[in-house]
Amino acid sequence: MRQFVADLHVHSVLSPCAEVEMTPRNIVWHAARHGIDIVAITDHNACDNVTAALAAAKGTNVIILPGMEVETKEEVHIIVLFEKMRQLKAWEQFVYEHMSGRLNDEKRFGAQFVVDAEDELIRVKPEMLLTSLSCSMAEVCTKVNDLGGICIASHVDRPANSLIAQLGFIPPDVELAAVEISRLIRPQEAIRRFPTIGNLPIVTSSDAHTIADFLSGPKTIFNIEAPTLHEIQQALKGQNSRKVVIQ
Amino acid sequence: MIIQEMVDILQAEVVAGATKVDNVINGGYASDLLSNVMSQAKTGDIWVTMHAHQNIVAVASLLGLSAVIIAGHVQPDKEAINKADAEEIPLLTTALSVFEVVGLLYSKGVKGV
Repeated sequence: MRQFVADLHVHSVLSPCAEVEMTPRNIVWHAARHGIDIVAITDHNACDNVTAALAAAKGTNVIILPGMEVETKEEVHIIVLFEKMRQLKAWEQFVYEHMSGRLNDEKRFGAQFVVDAEDELIRVKPEMLLTSLSCSMAEVCTKVNDLGGICIASHVDRPANSLIAQLGFIPPDVELAAVEISRLIRPQEAIRRFPTIGNLPIVTSSDAHTIADFLSGPKTIFNIEAPTLHEIQQALKGQNSRKVVIQ
Repeated sequence: MIIQEMVDILQAEVVAGATKVDNVINGGYASDLLSNVMSQAKTGDIWVTMHAHQNIVAVASLLGLSAVIIAGHVQPDKEAINKADAEEIPLLTTALSVFEVVGLLYSKGVKGV
């Protein structure tokens, strides 16, 4: 068993609100030099840069977890994570079926770049990503769990797009693996201020949109055997001596 | 004023909790953030929202609201309807926007404070 430092919520240059420095290659390069073992690339309602991140991480000690930050029809943000890229591709299909049909306005919301592992521009994603899908939170969690992934409610302490702000408390028909808190709050304070989190495990991530955010933002340490989603799931459940430690 | 009197004025349909359309409206509140509603709305208020998630029923029941009106042609989930029937919370839907609903309520003397 060893400790792995994980950041399970990082935006790449595909997210319109992220800086252009957030290329998969640059994220991996900084992770490798700063001892960040596990990085989930979680762009808003899209995952086109995960393949480049996986390629960029080849030959390094950094493990990329395929992921996405989904916005449900209740305007709740959920981090979804998968073990394998093919599971994420199946999830992406579901996302496409629930998109608004609106196109991004680059000037107002920011550009959405799809790049390769060498920072070369492949294309600009036209669909508007910074908006809600037409599926509910319960539908998202059911589908993700069916595909073998996990759901983590994003930044539940924040006023915007958080499960607690939007819906007041965690609905009974929603299966979450954890809740994420932002850099603005400590776990003990989060439990006190948001008692409706209940007994769900707490993780903390950078939610980085810049490299500075990525390096300075909070991480979660997992005591696990190997850097896999399966091991992280066991740590979140406290199974087989696996553990979550918040940094 | 009771909920039943507002149904016609708001061109609304009672989709759940019809047993309680004689609930008295004490005041009104409009918000789509349930955490905010929980801290600000008062017992007897009619709540105007575009949320249609089942948690709206739990919030309405918790606070003792007189009804929830879901504006803008949004239809509540099946779970929300079942729960509102069980908890006897009137759920109203209307094609009118939140703005129009609040304006009509206000013009009929329903105030926010």
